[in-house]
Amino acid sequence: MQTVLATVASVLVAAVALVALVGQAVRGDRTVAAQLAPAAVHDASVDDAYYRCIDVQAHSLVGPGRTVALSTDNLADVVTMIKGFGSWVTVADPSSSAAVVLTLRDGPGGPGTCLGTRVVATTVGPGGVRVVRLGTGAEVPGQGPPPAPPL
Amino acid sequence: MSTPAATVVAILVLAAAGVVPVAVAVGPRWVVVPLAPLGGALLAALAATASLSVGAPLLAWFVGLAAGAAVVAVVHTVRSGPGPWAVARRHRGPWDRHRVAGLVGFVVVVAACAWSLRGLRSPTVGFDARALWVMRPGWFLQSHAQLLVDLRTRGLVLTQSAYPPLVSAATAVAWRVTGVHTARLGVTTVALLNACALAAAALALVECGRSAAARLARPVDGIDEVDPVDGVVDGADRKAPWAPMVVGVVAAGLVVAVAAGVCEPFLTNGYADPIWSLAAVGAAAYGLQSTDDRANRAATVVLVLVAGLSKNEGLVTALALVALVAARSIGVSGIRDDRRRWRVPLGVAAAEVAVLAWWPVAMHVIGARGASSTFTTSNGAGSRMSAVVHGMSPYLHVLVLAVPLSVVGGLVLSAVRRRAGVGNDLWAWLALAVGLLAVGGALVTGTGAIVPWIRSTVHRITEYPILQAWWIVAVWAVVASSGIATGRTAPDPVTERSGRGPTVTGDGADRPSSAPAEVPA
Repeated sequence: MQTVLATVASVLVAAVALVALVGQAVRGDRTVAAQLAPAAVHDASVDDAYYRCIDVQAHSLVGPGRTVALSTDNLADVVTMIKGFGSWVTVADPSSSAAVVLTLRDGPGGPGTCLGTRVVATTVGPGGVRVVRLGTGAEVPGQGPPPAPPL
Repeated sequence: MSTPAATVVAILVLAAAGVVPVAVAVGPRWVVVPLAPLGGALLAALAATASLSVGAPLLAWFVGLAAGAAVVAVVHTVRSGPGPWAVARRHRGPWDRHRVAGLVGFVVVVAACAWSLRGLRSPTVGFDARALWVMRPGWFLQSHAQLLVDLRTRGLVLTQSAYPPLVSAATAVAWRVTGVHTARLGVTTVALLNACALAAAALALVECGRSAAARLARPVDGIDEVDPVDGVVDGADRKAPWAPMVVGVVAAGLVVAVAAGVCEPFLTNGYADPIWSLAAVGAAAYGLQSTDDRANRAATVVLVLVAGLSKNEGLVTALALVALVAARSIGVSGIRDDRRRWRVPLGVAAAEVAVLAWWPVAMHVIGARGASSTFTTSNGAGSRMSAVVHGMSPYLHVLVLAVPLSVVGGLVLSAVRRRAGVGNDLWAWLALAVGLLAVGGALVTGTGAIVPWIRSTVHRITEYPILQAWWIVAVWAVVASSGIATGRTAPDPVTERSGRGPTVTGDGADRPSSAPAEVPA
């Protein structure tokens, strides 16, 4: 009797567990497939192009070995700059000693901008003259901000 | 170099760094394949921590640590014997079914992981990935002085840069060896490491089925052929049931698909949540549910360190898992009378805690952003706890299935579970509970606004308990299939008497891993 009970319970437990796993696996597979939906791929491509554009513009403004400070006037812009080129810039400490101060200038989309955003460098030239330069070398047409990826 | 080619090179380099110590410690098992890159990533994390603590470039530390670990592993093997490789040398029987199940299980798991990574065809880089996980690698490749500036200066605002280093360190190694410094390479490298952690956890299910089958195997002619010298039962003369092995393989493949669904989109967008969650599930699988032998302990060490060096939530969970694994190894008999059983588990646990603590201690010592505590006990713990419970509940519906399944299984199939050699289900539930408590505790005692915090993170921070619960369900499927197999035949006197199976001998990577006690001559 005990053997029969154990066998019946085994069949039930195995069936319930496997059916549940199959059901959830199918759901999981749909979740993975959703990453490849055209809209998701398009958003990811735009996001990727935006940050690559920011990166290229920053490279056009910062020479090798030059120390950088990120303007902290706008917290969102600081995060965008970190995401775009935080991995390679030489951050100055203290920030007042930086050779270049980088900031973002947001405006309407147009030539030379990354979805309307442009990287701007401010340096102090000979005689204490402030020099403002705009990033070049890449552009992404359209109006930002880029589509927000999942948090 | 293209991103796919660079990814392959990066994973091969990480695997080359990790394969010797992992293979020596774990033995000839399929799980060495996914554990080797994870071992390399672990070495990269230690290299990043050493580089921060002492100076010298990350890659120099990485190469030095890899060479040192390989030398130590080989010397230890020469001095103390081959360990998990010894069983392979004593091979006498083919155990064809086990070979087939092991090979098929490995192929199924690899194929399921590859299919689950197809999300990589989308060029997604997650928000946190771009802001931290695949941005910070560049810092690890800068000078020591600049690394300190990057981690300290308040102008960079992000406090998460004090998080454990594994994901970023592995990416830094990938960037350095390939010369491709892109966020995309970081994402693809991390995704493959996620797949390795997932494969390691899934292969534990395959091993669970094979181990159960080995323990439930019966002599072909009713009589065991026992070697008079070493008392080992010849595997060739025993017939293992198919059911646990088949269900183990099927469940492993299904768990991969389930886990991919639970972890997406973060499985393929560079976040650190999947790797710590999956590694923690694997650590619980090998450390708390598999046979307590040297090979499984070694796999547990790798996975628990990967979990703890990947993210703060993983660190807390890993520390709890270290304590649970040590407690299981010591066991009731160790507490009662055999104090010698304390030595090895406590030694391993102490070493693991030291490794896990190195990075956060270094963060405090250098005064890194985000290293100071943000915990508080005076900001409405009751309402925060309520928000946490209500926020997490919708994601934990798997518990509605796993709890009753465990209750029924525990009441009716606990004897089968013991005979199959699967660890007590309560250990798995404890592992799930400590993960929930770790994350829930951080949310309740944190200072951030609780509602937006939960809304933006709950789907990621609940990955571990969800995956652990599905793993529990899958193990019950394997145990139940063992019950079906044993229900058709009378209990084997060997396994019935000792509760453990005969020694199983096999060769190479396809041997059953149960390594149960030897049958007395």
